Amino acid sequence: MSLQKPLMRGMLGKRLRFHLPIAFSLSLLAAIAFKYAVTEPRKQAYADFYKQYDATKEFNAMREAGIFESVRTGKVK
Amino acid sequence: MAHPSQLGFQDAASPVMEELLHFHDHALMIVFLISTLVLYIIVAMVSTKLTNKYILDSQEIEVIWTILPAFILILIALPSLRILYLMDEINDPHLTIKAMGHQWYWSYEYTDYEDLGFDSYMLPTQDLAPGQFRLLEADHRMVIPVESPIRVLVSAEDVLHSWAVPSLGVKMDAVPGRLNQTAFIASRPGVFYGQCSEICGANHSFMPIVVEAVPLQYFEKWSSLMLEDT
Repeated sequence: MSLQKPLMRGMLGKRLRFHLPIAFSLSLLAAIAFKYAVTEPRKQAYADFYKQYDATKEFNAMREAGIFESVRTGKVK
Repeated sequence: MAHPSQLGFQDAASPVMEELLHFHDHALMIVFLISTLVLYIIVAMVSTKLTNKYILDSQEIEVIWTILPAFILILIALPSLRILYLMDEINDPHLTIKAMGHQWYWSYEYTDYEDLGFDSYMLPTQDLAPGQFRLLEADHRMVIPVESPIRVLVSAEDVLHSWAVPSLGVKMDAVPGRLNQTAFIASRPGVFYGQCSEICGANHSFMPIVVEAVPLQYFEKWSSLMLEDT
């Protein structure tokens, strides 16, 4: 009865063939997660903000709050 | 304006700054992609009992790790060049303002129609009213009409300064003897803060920039009042 010959070569290749696809998949996942968790919500937030934005209303609110120095509070034109 | 424990950019107040924000998100996404890959590979290489870990020759992996980075660089370069050319477009400004840097204040000149000029010094901390921002407020603000293309000609009277307003996506060096041009559009009314961005001596940190964007009729009233005062 003889012992089975141990694995002598190809160990690094085997390890790389196992880990590299996982590495690339995880990095792609991280990029996709960032895109849909941060990039797209930010684009949507800016689009939504300006869709409903009333510059005159916001300006008057800021003016009443006394934020501007060039414009005195008072009667809205 | 900036707020405590802020990580990202200030909210954009001009179309160019919005583009820069989105480009930064795109570039950061690529950075996370590469960093995740590298971190995983480092951990995998460090946590192994294998002793013969070094590849001496592999044509395939050499091709991959040349083509892939080149592709990633193109992915970054194309949106970057798009924004660069966007910023350089002929913009036909409605108003031109000269911003002159001095030690240690800014002066603004509105000379399109009449000769209006004034200095803008930082408000000292002891003179601030409640609600005003320390080291950011100025005694005279640069007032501009909202949603109008503005051209700013930046220069300096003594040493190097830099005129910067982050929320408008603007930074331009003020070089003595040189006239630098930048342009922007304020998308919404409000007050936008910036600080001198080139070391210029003892009070470099104490010469802020304050831009106030108001509707055109109020800008016209303000400029008439300022001309009467001077």
